Amino acid sequence: MLLQILVNSLIIGSIYGLVALGFGLIYGTTRFFHFAHGAVYTCGAYLTFLFTVWFKFPLFFSLVLSIILTSFLGILIEVGIYRPLRKREATSLVLLIASLGIFIVIQNIVSLVFGDDTKTLRSGVVKEGINIFGARITPIQIAIILVSLGLFVITSLILAKTKTGKTIRAVANDPELAIIHGIDTNKVILYTFGIGSALAAIAAILISFDVDMVPSMGFFALMMGVVAVIIGGVGSIPGAALGGLLLGLAQNLGVWKIHSKWQDAIAFGILLLFLLFRPYGFFGKKVKKVQI
Amino acid sequence: MNYLFHILILIFIYIIISVSLNLISGYAGLISVAHAAFYGIGAYVVALLALNIGSGFIVNMICGMLLAGILGAIIAIPSLRIHDDYFVIATFGFQIIVFSILNNWVTLTKGPLGIPGIPQPIILGISISSHVQFLIFTGFFALLTFLFARRLVNSPFGRVLKAIREDEIFAEALGKNVTKYKILVFVIGASMAAVAGSLYAWYITFIDPTSFTVQESIFMLSIVIIGGTGNLWGSVLGAALLITIPEALRFLGMPSAIAANTRQILYGTLLVIFMLYRPQGLLGEFAFRRK
Repeated sequence: MLLQILVNSLIIGSIYGLVALGFGLIYGTTRFFHFAHGAVYTCGAYLTFLFTVWFKFPLFFSLVLSIILTSFLGILIEVGIYRPLRKREATSLVLLIASLGIFIVIQNIVSLVFGDDTKTLRSGVVKEGINIFGARITPIQIAIILVSLGLFVITSLILAKTKTGKTIRAVANDPELAIIHGIDTNKVILYTFGIGSALAAIAAILISFDVDMVPSMGFFALMMGVVAVIIGGVGSIPGAALGGLLLGLAQNLGVWKIHSKWQDAIAFGILLLFLLFRPYGFFGKKVKKVQI
Repeated sequence: MNYLFHILILIFIYIIISVSLNLISGYAGLISVAHAAFYGIGAYVVALLALNIGSGFIVNMICGMLLAGILGAIIAIPSLRIHDDYFVIATFGFQIIVFSILNNWVTLTKGPLGIPGIPQPIILGISISSHVQFLIFTGFFALLTFLFARRLVNSPFGRVLKAIREDEIFAEALGKNVTKYKILVFVIGASMAAVAGSLYAWYITFIDPTSFTVQESIFMLSIVIIGGTGNLWGSVLGAALLITIPEALRFLGMPSAIAANTRQILYGTLLVIFMLYRPQGLLGEFAFRRK
């Protein structure tokens, strides 16, 4: 039983971690809460549904196409709305309100086009999972864990080794100093939106092969990602992964001990406790009261 | 005619909501996406007390205001340590927890089934039940809320709120207890939202958790932002506009299933457009800018 809980936590924690990773990358360079990331996530899943189920494209082709288009959607939001806002010297709250607006618009367009009923990417009967020491895990769940792990490693490597990664870290660390060094911050922010949105799309596609999709799926995924980022500490990749896993574990323990219907309340209870007692998370730097 | 009254009653209820949220977000500069939670608490307290204990409507409403006020104080406490975006996330968390309780604590709230048959208030032996009576009843409360809020924002209290919103450290340097003011404005705003919730419960006589969702909270925030932050007339205008425009869609012959989505797309788009071109809203004076 305990092993099954650990396995389930690992699965859902990987998804939260992926959303947190993308969200954290974008937050790192832009310093505002990009709520529309949740809607971008939803689009990842529904685009795959559109291509595989409605258009009957080959699976692999649909996956690649969906990830690219979703990544492009993130870039479009940045170039079309956030960049003009930054040019007007909008504060992070103005950007946040705008992103709430974008979020609502995209989610409702998805709901208009596809309807509010649940859709699924699975075909045929649900296979019984593989038995590992008494815990059951399906092949797609194994894929979720492996793909997430791989993406965490790749993203860490990109940030640590490549030139693009270095500029991303520079902008996240100190935007003004980065500009002085001749780094084009707009371009760097564009990269983070591209990478972050692609990560969101992959997370959404993975989870919709395991469970079903509804238009509101993005909201909770995003909120869990935000909670994971805050638990792990803003700007930390291991933090995002750990935050996601801890959140998954807390929720699954809650489901075991209390009831599954309370898992949102548990996640947000943890969030409120963190915000009260440790707003900078496990690995984050202390948040200054007001930046002068 | 009754249809027209129905729209007006809704506008009155939403004026109470937007005026109270404007105190929090427009005057004190604390963006909150938890207002539907306070609104829901007002509605549920009134419904549950009336049906389970049978107490009078004024007592019920005051109990709702008290509970919302206490919870408002609790949600304001994180604002001592966290700011701006982080505070928004905290209010999100609170909103989701309250919705989760309304939806899942089935023995108390009946969960997703909702609570039907809420008794309507009786004043001097007259039951408030017709549209005209409710129009006067809700209009009275809307007027009361508006006058109270106007008195408040023109008082020294209101000036301190504006000072906090413009420059918190400066307000603190002038010896103002910023924490106390933030908690107080949340208590006042939350209890006003509970009044609106009570009115809604009495008017519709049926409540279920779907009226008190995160989306509803964002809708309330849109009313305040589009109407104008830091201006009470802006909130009145915002409520009137954002309630009436979707009704106009219905007259264009749009099916109600599509109309619900279109309504949300409409105010989402408006939010983005306003942030781009007029972040202070139609009549507002504050644009979430500190520099």
